Amino acid sequence: MLKSSQRRIAAGALLAAATMVVTTACGGGSGDNGGGKGKAGAAGFNAAVNKVANASDKKGGELKFIGSQEADNWDPQRGYYGFVWDFARYYTRQLVTFKAEPGAASTELVPDLATDAGKVSDDGLTYTFTLKDGITWEDGKPITSKDIKYGIERIWAQDVISGGPIYLQQVLDPKGEYKGPYKDTAADKLGLKAIETPDDKTIIFKLPVANGDFLQMLAMPAASPVRQDKDTKAKYGLKPFSSGPYKWESYTPNKSIKLVRNDKWDAKTDTVRKALPDRISVTFTTNADDMDNRLVEGEYDLDINATGVGAAARQKVLQQHKDNVDNPQTGFIRYAVFPQTVIPNIECRKAIIYAADSKSLQTARGGPQAGGDIASNMLPPALKGADAKYDPYGKLAGAPDLAKAKEALKKCGKPDGFKTTIAVRNNKKIEIATAESLQQSLKAVGIDAQIDQFDGAQTSGIIGSPKVVKEKGYGIIIMGWGADFPTGQGFLQPLVDGRFILQSGNNNFSELNDKAVNGLFDQALKETDPTKAGELYKQINTKVSEAAVYLPFTHEKNIIWRSSRLTNVYTADAYNGRYDYASLGVVK
Amino acid sequence: MTAPLHETSAGEATATVDGAPDAPGTPDNSGASKAIEGRSPWKIAWTRLKRDKLALAGAFVVVFLILVAIFAPVIVGLLGHPPDEFHEDQIDPLFGTPIGSWGGVSSDFLFGVEPVNGRDVFSRIVYGARISLLVAFLAAVFAVFLGTVLGVIAGYFGGWVDAALSRVMDVMLAFPQLLFTIALVSVLPNEFLGLDGSGVRIAALVLVIGFFGWPYVGRIVRGQTLSLRNREYVEAAQSLGAGRFYILRRELLPNLLAPIMVYATLMIPTNILTEAALSFLGAGVKPPTASWGQMLSTAITTYESDPLFMVIPGLAIFITVLAFNLFGDGVRDALDPKGSR
Amino acid sequence: MLAYIIRRLFAVVVMLLVVTLVTLSIFFLIPKMTGSDPAAMFVGKQADPASIEAIRQKLGLDEPILVQFWHFVSGIFVGRDYTGGGDTIHCAAPCFGYSFRTEQDVWTMLVDAFPVTLSMVVGAAVLWLVLGVSTGVVSALKRGTVIDRAAMITALAGVSLPIFFTAMLAMLVFRTQLHWVDASYVPITESFGGWFGGLLLPWVTLAFLYAAMYARLTRATMLEVLGEDYIRTARAKGLPEPVVLGKHAMRSTMTPILTIFGMDLGALIGGAILTETAFSLHGLGGLAIKGVSERDLPLILAVTLITAACVVIANLVVDLLYAVIDPRVRLA
Repeated sequence: MLKSSQRRIAAGALLAAATMVVTTACGGGSGDNGGGKGKAGAAGFNAAVNKVANASDKKGGELKFIGSQEADNWDPQRGYYGFVWDFARYYTRQLVTFKAEPGAASTELVPDLATDAGKVSDDGLTYTFTLKDGITWEDGKPITSKDIKYGIERIWAQDVISGGPIYLQQVLDPKGEYKGPYKDTAADKLGLKAIETPDDKTIIFKLPVANGDFLQMLAMPAASPVRQDKDTKAKYGLKPFSSGPYKWESYTPNKSIKLVRNDKWDAKTDTVRKALPDRISVTFTTNADDMDNRLVEGEYDLDINATGVGAAARQKVLQQHKDNVDNPQTGFIRYAVFPQTVIPNIECRKAIIYAADSKSLQTARGGPQAGGDIASNMLPPALKGADAKYDPYGKLAGAPDLAKAKEALKKCGKPDGFKTTIAVRNNKKIEIATAESLQQSLKAVGIDAQIDQFDGAQTSGIIGSPKVVKEKGYGIIIMGWGADFPTGQGFLQPLVDGRFILQSGNNNFSELNDKAVNGLFDQALKETDPTKAGELYKQINTKVSEAAVYLPFTHEKNIIWRSSRLTNVYTADAYNGRYDYASLGVVK
Repeated sequence: MTAPLHETSAGEATATVDGAPDAPGTPDNSGASKAIEGRSPWKIAWTRLKRDKLALAGAFVVVFLILVAIFAPVIVGLLGHPPDEFHEDQIDPLFGTPIGSWGGVSSDFLFGVEPVNGRDVFSRIVYGARISLLVAFLAAVFAVFLGTVLGVIAGYFGGWVDAALSRVMDVMLAFPQLLFTIALVSVLPNEFLGLDGSGVRIAALVLVIGFFGWPYVGRIVRGQTLSLRNREYVEAAQSLGAGRFYILRRELLPNLLAPIMVYATLMIPTNILTEAALSFLGAGVKPPTASWGQMLSTAITTYESDPLFMVIPGLAIFITVLAFNLFGDGVRDALDPKGSR
Repeated sequence: MLAYIIRRLFAVVVMLLVVTLVTLSIFFLIPKMTGSDPAAMFVGKQADPASIEAIRQKLGLDEPILVQFWHFVSGIFVGRDYTGGGDTIHCAAPCFGYSFRTEQDVWTMLVDAFPVTLSMVVGAAVLWLVLGVSTGVVSALKRGTVIDRAAMITALAGVSLPIFFTAMLAMLVFRTQLHWVDASYVPITESFGGWFGGLLLPWVTLAFLYAAMYARLTRATMLEVLGEDYIRTARAKGLPEPVVLGKHAMRSTMTPILTIFGMDLGALIGGAILTETAFSLHGLGGLAIKGVSERDLPLILAVTLITAACVVIANLVVDLLYAVIDPRVRLA
């Protein structure tokens, strides 16, 4: 909700000011190491959550990432993993991008390649941008509006470079008329009608239907420029051609990445990227526990995946190195969803919600720190319109409400319970643990739930297919969801808008198709004032809760390691609670 | 990984049947052996087995484990908690590890509690024995059945039948079993052949482990059949006009019984290990059904802070497999005096 | 001799073709049976039917199984082109397929993973061969003594331990508690010390299991050989005991051990799945698991084929070596 987020910003600002004082003392790398082996002083528990820790403008050194999960693809048009979007700002630029501020302030969009955040026509259908002077590629040639258009066009070529977000394709070309640049018959391969480039400095987007979040889509790496003569198509991700402050020196998949400064990048044209380190390296290890140990030993600075310290090292890290730990919210909600085709009776669904033991589910997710706070509704606290206190089913109490569950079962006509199936990905141990927890608490009211572990590599063809869901009788599906962009649309629409039900790759597992909800989305999309849109998302959230199709478990939190070498480090809501990589620096 | 079953080499085990008990400590028995007229070879083997203390110890543990598996509900009712019951009060919510030291071992929880959900490890070990033994036994039966039938056919009929079956065995032995099984199990339907839940998985495990086990039996049986086929008594039966199937049933099978028995006993521990490995790799029975391999796989994430939860299921597998191996070795030695002891 | 080798090589090739066809059929049919679509996995979160269809074409998933088989096999020798959506990806010979999951030639991935597995298996093999055979020989010679009993009980315990359990115990003791060794693999070309330290635990763990098996096998074989007539003859001739044992007995003992050794080595190089999983090593076994869990068909095919090839080629090599070691064997 609005109030609480305002309070958070205020508190964040105060603490940020406080840490400034502390960190200046630490800036010289004094020997006070708060329990850690780090070279400089550790900034303290949660020192970088929604505020800047070790603020600094000192350039130089090598920023060392380590990771246990390789990117889905480093091609800006193909990456969908959150950390790829964060990391992509090192070597890509967009027309607009997220502000370099901690916490909620990061969700504000600021001009990047463009001189301003775009001129929108009154009907919200036309966006015009003018490009800055002095923006160049890594070979010194200027970045033109045509490069941006070509980059965006690559999204259409899903048959060659699949995997990335296709929001821009859906918004600019909902009928699917354009076939992508590789099948483009125009000589310059710029046949997409919805984007016009009257000259090298101007780019105009023409939307068939207004969308209040259009700028959010332009801030995604998928809207980055790509130069036609440098486009290696499916292999572009092996060595993207840089428009940002760093360029790719070497890359061996699953092993390592080395980025070096792009000396053609002009800091004066870039208000967002600090570009402090001289070099950036990423090392991929095969062993997540080993990764945690290496981080603790100070060999590396941070986990590029930012999925949190593993269970093995959690205890050690929290007890001995708490000052090197941040515990931010990730913007993800972990939840169970009930397909209406399988459990049509709302009272039966309510029975499941009441019978679930939130505390037990939270423990299965990893407890209050590694798992997250108990969630009672389906809007992450960082989004406009959210109210973490809204709790229609009394889940925040942390205990099952057996009386209400039994009452609901009676109303449903099945006083002795019923049989159903919990679908859970077979490659996510934690999700299996939550399924077992849910199964246990449902047993108490006579609901017999079998656990079916489906092939986690094939989500889109199994739970993403309403037909398969019905055939297999999946009454409960365990999932998690994070917003692709930080608004109610980015989070909720794919999950609850009835027009987003797909025959394959569906995410609206509940198959909720409520005219009122759909209508509210239309209203919210047209709304350009984020606060007013937030009010509408709040209404949607209430209606979704009333439909009893979701049982949220937690607002996810991660335990993130922050090495004592890191400077200018803060978590950004725009990047799901990850650090803003583009602002990071290192001591020395 | 190849099955650790290469000890018996083809063509040696038949000598067993007319051997005599060897005097302990005699380095070489073949010269000293005296055939005792009228004593059945099985009785002789039994006498020998009774003298082998390690084998008897193994047999004792095996019987004990079988009883544990059968009476799991009774044992758990007396000494434990229901295997699926959560005891989150035993768990530190911050770290997900047991609050009590030593993995939460207490008079209430004999082997401690499982991290995160606090389930009774003792009960899960007891129930896990059911899965382990059931799958291992049934798979061994299936493998021995297939291996015997196909091995005898190959060995007895020879010619192109033998050539074809031998090639099939070669292909199967070169085929990566674990890989195939994981892929298969992960796409199995929920209900299958009238079974549901864990039943499907158990059936699949039995079929797959048994199916990949038969070539080992098949090879041995084929070799034995080949060598027996040309023995005088078989030829005698043939010259008397006995039919092929009569010979197979009356003359060959009884003589194949000893090596098949040895193989079946030695196959069970291998199957236990394979089942554990598959569960470890996530292709075992479904939760919440307890299995030892799955417990080990769960323990991977927490073994540094809660080692006991890893050690207990590991020991359970170890003790069971060791007992079967001791017993199996004993059976082999009893039936084959030329063997190792 | 030459004719024999050619004949055996031909058999090897036929067998590998069969394994390929079987694997292809299995992984092609299973998704079909269960109604899931491998092509759908290559498309992003918001998959639309058209792009799934295009991917299907590019992967060749819409072709009959025999055609797919032919493409795969011919690709190994002449390379292969994947065409679709206005883009062509060339996969040069030897093309074991192209992984659309990682945008890499499978061959490159295999070449990448191979040194890991090879380092692990060869190091362990040296250890277990030395340990296992010497234990077995000593046990056989000291038959019935305390040494023999102790060695054999240890060996039996060794073969009864699940390797992933031994691996975890080893990591707990030597890495977590004592900090003696490192956890992750470092190529030997980067640092010998790192390579050695990273592989020490996998070597010891793997060697323990196999040494136990080899000790049992060696002892049994040795005892059998010692009972043979020609050994008695040799002794009766008055040959010194070291000569009898070293020259005559050892030679015959080593023959079956070599057979098993060849097979084990082949099978392990092809995919020590459990050991690699337990130690998080990304060799061929790790690739295999990755392939299965991500339904990366080209990867699965290639790894299966390599595994099978390792086993059958190892068999062939062993058979050829027989002729060298054992004068009784004549190849025909």
